[in-house]
Amino acid sequence: MSQRKLNIALEPAAAKYRPLALTPSEDLKGYIASHLGRAILFFITCSSVLAVLLIFFFVIREAFGFLTHFSLLEFLTKTGWYPEAQEPKFGALALIAGSVYVTVASLFFSVPVGILAAVFLSDIVSFKIRGFVKPVIELLAAIPSVAYGFFAVLVLAPFMQKKLGFPTGTNALNASVILAVMALPTIISVAEDSISALGRELREASYSLGATRMETIFGVVIPAAHSGIIAAVVLGMMRAIGETMVVWMASGNASQIPHPWWDISQSVRTMTATIAGDMGETVKGSDHYSALFSVGVMLLIMTFFLNLVSEYFLTRAKKALGK
Amino acid sequence: MKIVIRNTFDKAFTILTALSVIFISLVLLGILGPMIWRGSGAVIFKGTVEFRKMQMDLFERGNQDVLQNEIVETDTVRKTIFETINRFKKGIDTEALCDRVRDIHREFGQELRLKGITGQEYSRLRSITRDIRDKLEVTFESQDKKEITKNIEYVLQFKKDERFKATCAEELFQIALGFQKDIAKIDLNKRKQYEEDLIQIEQTLFGSGEIPGLLGPHPDKPLPALAMNRFGATRWDQSLKLLDKLLWIEEWVEKEPGKPLEKVRTSRKEKFAGTDLEPLFSSVQDNLEKILKPRLTIYWQFFIDDNFNSHYFGGVGPEILGTLLITFLGMLFAVPLGLISAAYLVECASDHFIFRMIRMCINTLAGVPSIVFGLFGLSFFVLFLFPLFGMPSKGCILAASMTLAILTLPVMIRASEEAIRTVPQTYKEASLALGASGFRTFVTVTLPAALPGILTGIILSLSRIAGETAPILFAGAVAMGPIPKSLFDPTRTLSYGSYDMAVGDRISMMVPHNQYGMVVTLVILVLCLNALAIGLRSRVFKRLKGH
Repeated sequence: MSQRKLNIALEPAAAKYRPLALTPSEDLKGYIASHLGRAILFFITCSSVLAVLLIFFFVIREAFGFLTHFSLLEFLTKTGWYPEAQEPKFGALALIAGSVYVTVASLFFSVPVGILAAVFLSDIVSFKIRGFVKPVIELLAAIPSVAYGFFAVLVLAPFMQKKLGFPTGTNALNASVILAVMALPTIISVAEDSISALGRELREASYSLGATRMETIFGVVIPAAHSGIIAAVVLGMMRAIGETMVVWMASGNASQIPHPWWDISQSVRTMTATIAGDMGETVKGSDHYSALFSVGVMLLIMTFFLNLVSEYFLTRAKKALGK
Repeated sequence: MKIVIRNTFDKAFTILTALSVIFISLVLLGILGPMIWRGSGAVIFKGTVEFRKMQMDLFERGNQDVLQNEIVETDTVRKTIFETINRFKKGIDTEALCDRVRDIHREFGQELRLKGITGQEYSRLRSITRDIRDKLEVTFESQDKKEITKNIEYVLQFKKDERFKATCAEELFQIALGFQKDIAKIDLNKRKQYEEDLIQIEQTLFGSGEIPGLLGPHPDKPLPALAMNRFGATRWDQSLKLLDKLLWIEEWVEKEPGKPLEKVRTSRKEKFAGTDLEPLFSSVQDNLEKILKPRLTIYWQFFIDDNFNSHYFGGVGPEILGTLLITFLGMLFAVPLGLISAAYLVECASDHFIFRMIRMCINTLAGVPSIVFGLFGLSFFVLFLFPLFGMPSKGCILAASMTLAILTLPVMIRASEEAIRTVPQTYKEASLALGASGFRTFVTVTLPAALPGILTGIILSLSRIAGETAPILFAGAVAMGPIPKSLFDPTRTLSYGSYDMAVGDRISMMVPHNQYGMVVTLVILVLCLNALAIGLRSRVFKRLKGH
């Protein structure tokens, strides 16, 4: 009787208290499970790598047909873009120039405003007001590009044509003003991060030497944060050069290099807008089709290069802080 | 002295930076304000009786009896307008008069034959009416008043003739008399002008084949085939615009050679002064509310209705559906991939070469222009992967959402990484100290703690891909088409629809409220998602501060 009672009490106890050391088989199982799991997770993580490789491979593959038929030199140096003519011409220089025009012009507007705003947020204003300004910039970043394009076509373009007397409302200036607004959030947030990451010591040293706030900012803060600011500008540039909808809708889509060269009130056509506008009309596998993919490859290479530049400057900014 | 200058510069600089931020806020306001204001007009506006007719006809909404009463009330007022125009037309529309006269001549011949009059009598009467017909035709076309009076007098001399009594030929004399009366009021030289103007007036009131008019189609004419032409001005603002078009003639005149054209407005009422048509303008102007019965309408069904005639009527229902479908399907692909990648990069990655490569690839992916994603979606999913699995090689929801999933993968990974990183190390250590494995710690401790941050990332990705247009241009977005039945059909989306309406055809330019309504729906959808994300994030910050 008492024996049985004891057994009942013992059985669950034996199940409850396991030895701390695992048996070899359990150990092995755990080892395999953990490493197998890690391997699976690793492969899933590599999906972004795979995506990048696939993007490069497939875009270049479709562009290959063009590069074997036509000379690359002509593609890069001629201006005539007549893909559907009797004797098709694929000179992308005007398209590249168009992209450069709107991008540079948009940076011209957005960089000064963006850096001033970044300085305002990091050095001048209190934390409380910052909390109000930040959402404004986030909203600016959140508005879809097609909505910006809509605004450019239906509000800004008629305004430019009627009130400011431009010959056409959809021109390089229109596109670059809108692109500047779109690049602002990127520039502000990256520049502000790098400026406020500098810390108080540098600033206080400058103030103690008698410098005013402006002198501190121009003489100490901006030079010290220049890597981050350059990275901000490059990222803003990437945003502008890769933007499609706004330039497609607002730039006028005339494949030409403005003449005289500084006149950005003329219509231009960018690389992205050409792809977006022409692709719907091409036959799959035709020269025109693969020419558009070649333009895509060019864009891809440009942004890849810009990305490397921005990353170089961002790591430099980080290293400067680490020291 | 120098310090004063330095301080002034300092102040000026401070003001300049503040101005830049104020400028940015104003830009945001300047972009969103007018857009939302005009877009709200798609939902809240003064709808006329024509709007309620349209709703009943196309969507079967509203109260049949109430509408019928309204139609009867408005029709009584409209009747006078129709009558005024018809009366005026008699004096102006010579072609109609000529046709009528010719018809009467023909009918008269039949009538005579029915009466059994044949032979010489028949041919004599016929020759008289033929004579009258020719004379009247000349009269209608003539611009010389003397000639007209002479001809009409000639015609009227037959009026007393017994043989024409109680035949249809009597109408000939009535026409002649009416014409005489009309002609007394009308300046004959202006008749051609009046004719052209009358066409414009009729188009403004009843609509031409292309543009709907103020009152809808003329009740005597057959119902137009297109739905947009079947109704008058459905909105009060639209009807005011048409009224303006009715009352004023707008012309672009070159005042001096070489100068740009200038807009000149002249009053139609003055132009038609003294004619039968003059009362029309003031009666339409004064009775417009009685004719159209405007009433404040909240058309919330804008968000569920399909559209008619390239968005002339209706709403953006299928577009919202398509956007949501593509977005959520895209997130279905992107969330697991992004979450696992982020978790692995935080928990297991070292500074090894491979991981630096992976990070670089994620950054590259984030920098790829959206249009290149479009090219990739076309060349990989549509032209390569789908045929490989025996699926139709055309743009569809599945291809679009997978393209967008890849586009948003970097956003997802970065946001989740950040969220997982902010979980305090002590949480994990406590869990590990209790004997939980690394995996278990992650699932039961780290993940729940990081969940709000991850959710923020998910919502931000959602809002990003809801607004993207370029990647799905070639992968499954269409401007017009049926509502998709499966994932292998292309779909309409808000983003592509906004593009299409902004640069689109004449019809969408006639309905700016629907144009703005579409884009504002998209903007509000995206901004609401963003506001949700911002709110969630601030809560997370507060909670983390509390610890």
